[in-house]
Amino acid sequence: MADFAIGSVLNHFYGTQKKGWDYRTKYSIENTTANVLLVGSSRVQQQYNPTFFEDRLHTTCYNAGRDGETFLYQYTLLQGVLNRYQPKAIVLECENNMFLKHPTSYERLSCLLPFYKNHAEMRPVLEKRSPFEKLKLFSQMYPYNSLLFKIVIGNISKGEDEDIKGYVPLMGALQEPKRQVNFDKKYTMDSFKIQLFTQLVQQCTSKHIKLYLTCSPYFSDGYGNDQSLLLAKQIATKYTVPFIDLSKGHPLLQQSNLYDDTAHVNNIGSKILSNIIVDSLLQYQ
Amino acid sequence: MLFNSFHFVFFFLIVTSAYFILPHKYRWLLLLLSSCYFYMAFVPIYILILGFTIVVDYFAGILIENAQGKKRKLYLIYSLVANIGVLCVFKYYNFINTNIGFLLKGFAVHNPIPYLSILLPIGLSFHTFQAMSYTIEVYRGHQKAERHFGIYSLYVMFYPQLVAGPIERPQNLLYQFRQKYNFDYDRVVSGLKLMLWGIFKKLVIADRLAIYVNAVYNNSHHHSGLSLLVATIFFAFQIYCDFSGYSDIAIGASRVMGFTLMTNFNRPYFSKSIAEFWKRWHISLSTWFKDYLYISLGGNKVSIPRWYLNLFIVFLVSGLWHGANFTFIAWGAINGFYLVFALVTQKYRNKANALFLDKIPVLKSTVQIGCTFLLCCFAWIFFRATSMEQGWYIVHKISSFSGPIYHENASILLFSIFGILFLILVETKKEFFDTLFTLSNHHNWIIRNLYYCFLIIAIILAGVFDGGEFIYFQF
Repeated sequence: MADFAIGSVLNHFYGTQKKGWDYRTKYSIENTTANVLLVGSSRVQQQYNPTFFEDRLHTTCYNAGRDGETFLYQYTLLQGVLNRYQPKAIVLECENNMFLKHPTSYERLSCLLPFYKNHAEMRPVLEKRSPFEKLKLFSQMYPYNSLLFKIVIGNISKGEDEDIKGYVPLMGALQEPKRQVNFDKKYTMDSFKIQLFTQLVQQCTSKHIKLYLTCSPYFSDGYGNDQSLLLAKQIATKYTVPFIDLSKGHPLLQQSNLYDDTAHVNNIGSKILSNIIVDSLLQYQ
Repeated sequence: MLFNSFHFVFFFLIVTSAYFILPHKYRWLLLLLSSCYFYMAFVPIYILILGFTIVVDYFAGILIENAQGKKRKLYLIYSLVANIGVLCVFKYYNFINTNIGFLLKGFAVHNPIPYLSILLPIGLSFHTFQAMSYTIEVYRGHQKAERHFGIYSLYVMFYPQLVAGPIERPQNLLYQFRQKYNFDYDRVVSGLKLMLWGIFKKLVIADRLAIYVNAVYNNSHHHSGLSLLVATIFFAFQIYCDFSGYSDIAIGASRVMGFTLMTNFNRPYFSKSIAEFWKRWHISLSTWFKDYLYISLGGNKVSIPRWYLNLFIVFLVSGLWHGANFTFIAWGAINGFYLVFALVTQKYRNKANALFLDKIPVLKSTVQIGCTFLLCCFAWIFFRATSMEQGWYIVHKISSFSGPIYHENASILLFSIFGILFLILVETKKEFFDTLFTLSNHHNWIIRNLYYCFLIIAIILAGVFDGGEFIYFQF
C-alpha cells in the first residue's frame, strides 16, 4: 500500500515538473510535436540550437538530447516518440564508442523508468537493465529511485529554465591548443545496440521519416576512425541514410574559443555548428 | 554473488528454507554446497585455491594435535607457510616483483622475473586468516583438531562470512555447525532486521557516497581542496557503511539460521582515541592481529621501545594485509604512528586536559571524538588514493582549504548528506541514549514496523541498485 501510495504521489509530481532534465525528457516523449527532432547526448543537448533549424528550415524543431546518455537511451526515447507521432525528420548524433559493450549505458536508462508503466514500446530495452528488472518494476516507487530531490527541485524552483527548446548553451571558452588523440582502439561491441541501431534506421525508412546521422567535431585530431562510427556509417550507406561526418573537424570550427571543452562547442560555436548541420540537411532535401 | 543483489535474495531464501526443512545431519552438507555455489558465482576456478588451503590446514590440524615437541611447531610452520604462500602468490607477487624491478632499474639491470596476469581471488585474505587461526589455536591447545572434513571445510567456507568476514575463531564457530538450531521466530526476525539495516547502510549511504567520492578522487587534479575534503569525509562514512553493512548482513544471515558471529563494528566514529577506534573498527581483524601477531611479538610485556615497535609492526602488517600497495602500508604506518604518539604524549596530554577540558566532560568527549575522526580521515586519504603521489597531492590540496565544492549533481550531494545525517542520528541514539527509547525494538507493533517500512522505502527510493561490490571484497 505504501509502495502504491508513494509511487502514485511521485508519479504525479514527476509529471508536474516545470523545468530540469526529467521535465525535458518527459516533454520529448509525451508532448513535443516538433517536425524536426534532434536526438543525442550532451553533444546534441549542448551544441544544436533548434532556433537556427527552425529559422532556416521554416519548421518546428526540438532538441531532445540528454547529457550523459548513450544510444540505448536515444533509441528508447525515440520508440516513445514514434509511438505517439511521426516527426518529419530526426537528426541523430552518432558518437565514438556508441556500440561499446558496457553495463553503464544500461544503468543510465534509469531516467526512463518512470515511462515503463505507460509506454509498452519502451519496455523491451528497459528490461535489459538487469535480469531482475521486470521484478523490480512491480514496485511503483522503484522507477523514481534517486529522483526524489530532482522531482522536488523540478517542482519548486522558479525562474527561467536554462534551455532553449531543449538546447542548453555552454558559455565557457577553451584555452588550450588542439591535441592529438588516439581514438582507434579496438573494443568489444554490443550486438544488441547494433541490432537496435539497424532497427531504428529501418523503422525510419519504413515510416518515411527522414533520418540524418551526424557526428559533430571535436577540438582534437585523431577522431573519425572509431569502430562504432565506422559501423554506423556502413549501416547508413546500406540504407542510403545521410551521414554528416564532422568528426575530423570543420574549417569554420578550428578556433579553441569556439569550444567549451574538447567535445562541445560553446554558444558561439553552436551557432556555426547548427548552421553547418542545417546546410547539410538542405543539401540532402 | 553480491549481498546487494537479487541473486543473493533468492539464494538466501532457498538456502535458509532448505536449512530448516532438512534433518539436522544433512544441514552441514547443504551449507557447504551452497557456500561453494556462493563462492563459485564470482570466479569458479578459484575454489581450487580454497580447496588447497582447506586440505592443507585440515591435515595440519590433525598432525599438530597428534605430534609431540618440535614436530608440532614444524607442522604449524608448514601450514602457515602454505597459507601465506598462497597469499603471496595471488596478492603480493606482482607488487614484490614490481619493486624488485624498480630496485634493479636503479642499477641498470633488467628484471627477468615475469609478471603474473592473475585476478586476486575474492576475500582471499579473510578466509586465509580464518584458516590460519584454526591451526594456531590447535597448536596452542585451545581447539581440538576437527576430524570431520566437511565440517572443517564449512568452517573456512561458511558463505555469510566467506568473502569479507567477520574473521572467526574456531572456538566460536566450529562447534556451532554441530548444534541443532530450530526455527525461532524472534531470532529469525532479529536476523532479518539486522540484514535490512546492513542493506540500508550499503545501498542508501555507502553506494551513494561512492558516486561523489569516485567522481572527486578519480579526477583529483580537477577538484578543489574543499571538494577533496568533502570527498574524504564522505569516504570515511562510505567505507564504514560499506564494510559494517556487509558485516551486518553476514551476521544477520547467520543469525537467521541460528549461528552467532562475532561483532565486527561498534560505532567506531564515536571513539575518543585511535586506540579505542581500533577496538571498535573491524574488531575481528584487530583481535586477530592482537592474538596472533602482537602477543607473539611480546605485546607490551617487553621494553618500552620494543613495545612501540611491536605496535608499529602490527599496523604495518595490517596495512599490507589490506592490499599490495604502498598506500595501504602508509595507512597502516600512519595508524601505528598515531598509537605510538598517543602513548608517548599521554602524560603531557593528561596534564593539559586537567587545566581545562577535564572540567567540562561533554566538551572533552566532543573534542576527543572530533579529533579522532579527523585523524582517521587523514589516514583514509592514503587508503583511498591510488598511489602515494596522489595521496600527498590530495593532502597538499586539502591543506589549501579553498575552492568551490563540486556539486554538479545536487541530488547526489543531498542524498549523501541526508544519508550521513540519518546514520549519525541512529548511531548517536544507540551510543548515548540507547536506554531512553527505541524505534527498531519498540513495544508498539505499529511504531516498530513503521521504522522498518521507512528503511525499505528509503532503500527503494534512495538506494543505489547498480552500486556494485563491497570495498573489502578486494582484500
